[in-house]
Amino acid sequence: MAAPELDSDVLIVGSGASGAAAAWSLSRRGLRVTCLEQGRWVEPSDYAHSRPDYELARQTSFAKDPNVRGWAEDYPINNSGTPIYPLMVNAVGGSTVHWSGHFPRMRPSDFRVRTLDGVADDWPFTYWDLEPYYDLNDSMVGVSGLAGDPGNPPRSPRQTPPLAFDAGCEAYLRGLEKLGWHWWPCDNALISEPFGENRSPCNCCGPCDIGCPIGAMSSAHVTYWPKALSQGVQLITHARVEQITVDRAGRATGALYYDDQGVRRSQTAGVVVMAANGVGTPRLLLNSTSARFPNGLANDSGIVGAYLMFHPVAFVSGVFEEVVNGQRGPIGGLMNCQEFYETDLARGFVRGFELQLSRSVGPLSVANGGILGHPVPWGSEHHEALRSRYAHTMTTSVMLEDLPEPENRVTLDPGLTDAHGIPAPRVEYRVGENTQRMLEFSIARARELFEAAGAVEILVDPLVQESGWHLMGTCRMGDDPERSVINGWGQAHECPNLFVIDGSTFTTSAAVNPTSTIQAVALRCADWLGKNYRAVAA
Amino acid sequence: MTAHILTPEELALLTLVQDELVPAYGDLPGAGTLGGALTVDAYLAERPWLRRPVLTALRAVEAAAGETPFAELDSGGRVGILRRVEGEDPEAFTELVKQTYNAYYTRPDVQASLGIDGPPQPLGFELPAFDESRLARVQAMGKLWRDA
Ligand SMILES: Cc1cc2nc3c(=O)[nH]c(=O)nc-3n(C[C@H](O)[C@H](O)[C@H](O)COP(=O)(O)OP(=O)(O)OC[C@H]3O[C@@H](n4cnc5c(N)ncnc54)[C@H](O)[C@@H]3O)c2cc1C
Repeated sequence: MAAPELDSDVLIVGSGASGAAAAWSLSRRGLRVTCLEQGRWVEPSDYAHSRPDYELARQTSFAKDPNVRGWAEDYPINNSGTPIYPLMVNAVGGSTVHWSGHFPRMRPSDFRVRTLDGVADDWPFTYWDLEPYYDLNDSMVGVSGLAGDPGNPPRSPRQTPPLAFDAGCEAYLRGLEKLGWHWWPCDNALISEPFGENRSPCNCCGPCDIGCPIGAMSSAHVTYWPKALSQGVQLITHARVEQITVDRAGRATGALYYDDQGVRRSQTAGVVVMAANGVGTPRLLLNSTSARFPNGLANDSGIVGAYLMFHPVAFVSGVFEEVVNGQRGPIGGLMNCQEFYETDLARGFVRGFELQLSRSVGPLSVANGGILGHPVPWGSEHHEALRSRYAHTMTTSVMLEDLPEPENRVTLDPGLTDAHGIPAPRVEYRVGENTQRMLEFSIARARELFEAAGAVEILVDPLVQESGWHLMGTCRMGDDPERSVINGWGQAHECPNLFVIDGSTFTTSAAVNPTSTIQAVALRCADWLGKNYRAVAA
Repeated sequence: MTAHILTPEELALLTLVQDELVPAYGDLPGAGTLGGALTVDAYLAERPWLRRPVLTALRAVEAAAGETPFAELDSGGRVGILRRVEGEDPEAFTELVKQTYNAYYTRPDVQASLGIDGPPQPLGFELPAFDESRLARVQAMGKLWRDA
């Protein structure tokens, strides 16, 4: 479709959750798609699950913080200005290569926070506009769960049934029933029965956060990528993009990148699609300066990188007298409590939160504090203390809506670079006042739940440092070019053949894990781009 | 197995320290007697950034013991020294404890003492199926979301 001298019709930067979905969607329409990915394929032999020291992988080869993990494919991030560290995976499949697979959808009100609650901005489309793409995405990746949750709009049948219901669920239920709160088995990007090719159903081994060696987790490298490749997408791994190139008129022409031998090369395309995540995309746009865009590509407004949102997370763990075996079964996916999701100003804040009722970890992670945030004491009390927590603990993540604030942002660090000399990102973030009030309220509710459930000890990590799993808002969507970088189709206001489709598109964060929404948004944008490619690339 | 980073003296000291951090329990000897110092040595070889805190903590233990070598103290005396070092340089000491736990809890015999039969894969675990009848109360709550 594009001029034959171009390397491809569409160049996608990043092969993660959004890039994979878009590659599949665009190639389905016959477009020639190339994806540049700085990482590599994670091989089955990389996973640690069959080794007795598997838990060490959390601190080493599968650490979620790239600054700790330090793969050659990772880039450094200056974290000194944020209490929450950004986390990610740089590999084919992106950050879905080791994640927890919680797969909730946003609610209709999440797209209308200005109209309903007078804060932040509305999204440029509604839940109902996105709903078909949520359904399409679910059918592509495979979700376990159950339709019918009164806390959310009706949804299509889930591809596989909800995951197991064990002693830990019973413990949570005691509390939930006593308090009369909402709960529902959560949607998980994790198959509980056969689904898709070369994938096995979850066998409840536990540590999803260090990857899934059997393909039960619906990670982008096992869901979209095999299909996209069979449709002819060219995926170039070990390809680290340095900048997006533009012509004199300010239209994107492709990208400059370093290949696996460290040679600097260029790729040309009719359209460039950014899918490098909420830190990687603003980093690259800010690094793509030109005569037309001296402040970075598509950044005349100065807000590329601004409005960064995480979901500030508190962990509240309940230790029970009985064995709950929280280390068995998928670490994340269990039940959600959305009793406090919608705004109730009597609580002292706008918007809301959910309690993700999750499981726990193995003995090493318990000893080191793991997700409990409290290491087991050394010395004569050690063994009894460990045995009282290991297999006796369930952990709830309190996940809050984070409001977009311009001061929270990704910029380029003046000194730090990656191994190729490309400026590294610096992240500046502080917890806003509304969020802080919500955090305190929500921790109190999680405590209340564990007390009602009969926990004998409750441990709280009030703001988890390693919890920047969700990187959102840094190239936000909107209709107003003064307050947004892209429109509702992901198209940059200032550069019509540049698209952004990853987590940085989020106008607001909602209070749920973002990836089902990231992928639905990516599919919606790709669908529009596919239909309008000629006009956009002309 | 020979040490790559730790000197024989450091190895011996770390062994004693580890036996206080994670003492004997049931049939299992303490973390040091189980060979934890050599495992930590391997971690230090693989991850050089761990050397500074771990070696700093070991030196602090030696220094705090003063005239009487750590090895000649009884268990109470050793624990007292370790508490002092923990108070004075919590960061380095915490790393020493963490690496000791790493060495200890990755051992199959220690895991077996906790009822763990083997690593998570390939067997996984069989858990009971989800019971939908438990949702009756919540289903009766009616619509809880705002349309928009
Ligand atoms: C430990 C962990 C647990 C998580 N658990 C959940 C969960 O339970 N539920 C949920 O919804 N979300 C979860 N997430 C978040 C989820 O993984 C992300 O929301 C999602 O992957 C983001 O998709 P994305 O397309 O925006 O970016 P990513 O998936 O991060 O993909 C970005 C890709 O771009 C590549 N890239 C970046 N810069 C360059 C460059 N310069 N050149 C070439 N390539 C580049 C990267 O290597 C990467 O592969 C978790 C994340 C982590 C780290």
